[in-house]
Amino acid sequence: MANNPLISSSLEDYLEAIAEIIERNGHAHTKDIADRLQVKMPSVTNALQALSARGLINYQSHSPVELTSEGAEMAAVIRHRHKVLKRFFAEVLKIDPESSDAAACRIEHVISETALSRIVVLAEAIAGREDCAPLRAYLEETMPKICAEETEELISLDKLPKGRAAVVVRVAENLRGLKKFADLGLVSGTLLQVEGRAPFGDLLRVRVMGSSLSLRAGDAMHIWVKLA
Amino acid sequence: MEQRIFRIALAGNPNCGKTTIFNQLTGTRQHVGNYPGVTVERKSGFCRIGDLQTEIVDLPGIYSLSSSSPEEKVAFRELMNGDIDMILNVIDSGNAQRNLYLTTQLAELDLPMLLVFNMIDDAEQRGLHFDFRKFEGFFGAPVVPTVGSTGVGMQELRDAIVAIAREPNPQRPVKPKYGPKTDQAIRALTEEVQVLQRPETRRIPARYFAIKLLECDSEICARPEFASLLAPAADWRRKISTRNGINSETLMADYRYGVIAGACREAIKLSNERRRQLSDSIDRIATNRFLGLPIFLLMMYLVFMFTFVIGQYPMDALEWFFGKLGDGINAVWPVGSAEFLRRLLVEGVIGGVGGVLVFLPNILLLFLAIAFLEGTGYMARAAFVMDGFMHMFGLHGKSFIPMLLGFGCSVPAIMATRTIESERDRLTTIMVIPFMSCGARLPIYSMIIPAFFAVKYQALMMWLMYLIGVVVALGCALLLKSTIFRGDGEVFVMELPPYRMPTLQSIVIQMWERAVMYLHKAGTLILFASVILFFINTFPEKTVFETDYPAEIAALEASGRGEEEIAAGVAALKGDMQNEKLQYSTAGRIGKALATVLAPIGFDWRVSSALIGAFAAKEVFVAQLGILFSVEDSEASPAMLQERLRSTYTPLQAFCIMLFCLLTIPCIATMAIVKRETNSWKLTGFQILLYTVTAYSLTFVVFQVGSLLRIGTGFLQ
Repeated sequence: MANNPLISSSLEDYLEAIAEIIERNGHAHTKDIADRLQVKMPSVTNALQALSARGLINYQSHSPVELTSEGAEMAAVIRHRHKVLKRFFAEVLKIDPESSDAAACRIEHVISETALSRIVVLAEAIAGREDCAPLRAYLEETMPKICAEETEELISLDKLPKGRAAVVVRVAENLRGLKKFADLGLVSGTLLQVEGRAPFGDLLRVRVMGSSLSLRAGDAMHIWVKLA
Repeated sequence: MEQRIFRIALAGNPNCGKTTIFNQLTGTRQHVGNYPGVTVERKSGFCRIGDLQTEIVDLPGIYSLSSSSPEEKVAFRELMNGDIDMILNVIDSGNAQRNLYLTTQLAELDLPMLLVFNMIDDAEQRGLHFDFRKFEGFFGAPVVPTVGSTGVGMQELRDAIVAIAREPNPQRPVKPKYGPKTDQAIRALTEEVQVLQRPETRRIPARYFAIKLLECDSEICARPEFASLLAPAADWRRKISTRNGINSETLMADYRYGVIAGACREAIKLSNERRRQLSDSIDRIATNRFLGLPIFLLMMYLVFMFTFVIGQYPMDALEWFFGKLGDGINAVWPVGSAEFLRRLLVEGVIGGVGGVLVFLPNILLLFLAIAFLEGTGYMARAAFVMDGFMHMFGLHGKSFIPMLLGFGCSVPAIMATRTIESERDRLTTIMVIPFMSCGARLPIYSMIIPAFFAVKYQALMMWLMYLIGVVVALGCALLLKSTIFRGDGEVFVMELPPYRMPTLQSIVIQMWERAVMYLHKAGTLILFASVILFFINTFPEKTVFETDYPAEIAALEASGRGEEEIAAGVAALKGDMQNEKLQYSTAGRIGKALATVLAPIGFDWRVSSALIGAFAAKEVFVAQLGILFSVEDSEASPAMLQERLRSTYTPLQAFCIMLFCLLTIPCIATMAIVKRETNSWKLTGFQILLYTVTAYSLTFVVFQVGSLLRIGTGFLQ
């Protein structure tokens, strides 16, 4: 049952996908795997060769992929871990199914077997034990709020009212020319204050460190701040 | 002993008072040039400090040391390749936290550095107290507090420079740390850079290149010698971003600010902080939602009043002087000898250049006003106030200032576009600036408007010409921004520096630099154009006339009629003779050939041939018209030319002449600067086409519709 240390997290994803496709369709073709993982065919071929070299699958080009007994066992372990984690996020932490799935996908590769087993026990206890009923009610009530409160607390800079001071928490990274923000002091942790707006148009005037900067509301939208 | 020139680079943020320090150190011994390939000014000055011979290079104001704007690129290259012996890093003490960000990057160059905490008086007044010894410890560089505008601390600064120059092994700045993973990446990449054994790593540490590779700096990453390191650098960036959850550039910026925040907490003590009361109060009004725009328009009105009303006096004096100069030469010239040379001198040279120099007072005053507004910090507010408006046309507030300068002269205005970071916005602004009615078109209006329009309509007409220019420029900007220069979506940030009273020295130097630029253009190109025009206006010379004018004049004078009647008759005859002569000349011939094409927009051959001159430089248009209409004296006063114009054209035609001059191809000097700024013949050619088509079609519509509706066929008196 021990996790093969030679297998990388992306290969684990492949193994998981192959097992699922075989379960659903009876057989797994390279094309199905590529579609499911949304990767290019050559990547799949690469991965399959790597898995084959480790003796986890039988792989010949032009025929369906088969799991070896070792591979099937490993896939089962990975899928089990995924399911357990997903349930934990969804049922205990009350996170929506999609996010739970995504979170499980990332954590399943790095969590140790011991920690995972203990999470299973905790989840089952909370879900089933009689004396956990008040806890269940508490979680039911509290968990969804935590998430809601957090988004309420973070607001984008363009929504910050005039005169209010706030601290930059995060600047979206996919902005073009993001470096300019950093050069002028708009990095996380910076205290700022909205000083006003341009007479017309969408320019915002923000006091950052010792200077007054003006930026477009459209750009300020990507700067998330927390009220100070 | 010290024969070698000690080279000092002056670096700092925009608005940190760097130029004031530069002026203080070098006085007027400055040399202004241009960096090759780009139009960022290269300012340097030689000065002797003690017995140390130094050259101080004033780098453009930058926020960070990378290559994301032309200024940054220039500073970056100068520091990397410029054989710099030490860096003088000027810091606005009131805004040390932001200003020191550049310091942390300069430190990576491993050059001896001196931190100049400038405008210390202002910071102390606001309740900030500095412990400079602590800063020295944190950054590994000596600190000198100064007040650039009054010269406080300048002697200490000179002493500190000499002390570093004398030190055989001066202290090197402390390099910031970027966290375990990033430092590991920097170390690994540094080793790989060292393996390459590039010549540049002899002066600049390999670590610097490693950092730039990790930051994905466009200039360093584009160098072929580092091509082999791009893959490992990308690999490290990926590792850093998975480890920290943010990309490596942001992470490194965070760490730098972290270092600075720590240092500032330790070394700056705040006692009842006062904001810049006055500056804030002014801003509450100047950028007010309702008052901002009217105040801006009022400011612009004041600038124009200042330029044109006060400028009128020296203009009149200059006009008088050049008139007298022509008369004087004519009077002392030996009659009959070298007649050709006399005419070339009086008509070509004095007539042409004199007519241009007459407008120098306007240019000087306009640039004085603009330098003042820039120095006080109002220009940034103007951009802030105008941004909403400019944004409607796809430009941003920063484009406004160069466009405003376009009212003075397109050449410096186009050069001023380099403050616009976004390349597309910059190119769009360059393309439309010449539509802004420049100072050289003013003589055309000042000649035509008083000749054709009653006093009560004159200001309105002038205003209308400027307005049309602005409207066409903005329309074109919108068109260009939604077609060939569609936005690249870069973020826009602009600093609004606190209001300050600029020093007289800095304003005068700035005005002087710009005036020299204008004069240079006038002195060389316009003189050249005037002489060429003199030739094409004079040759081939007509010797056999349709009418025997001298005989007719003699007959008229002998007829014994009233004295006034005779004078008028003689003048008319001489005018006809001049006319016939010019029709025979090259200009007349080109003008006539063009006249067919230009007839549908209301121009005759004289306007057509004056337009040939106007291409060389707009101000030549008036000189050309002057020669084409002069009766006998080429230095005729404007009144005489106006008289002649009034009797030849209708107000509608006059309006069309002004309109065409406003919109037509910019002068040769503008084209040259556009070529240099855009670095593209294609764009320059496109601009010529754009302007010709716009000018012709708009004037065509105005003239045809105007003629049809019989607008402006009589005098608007």
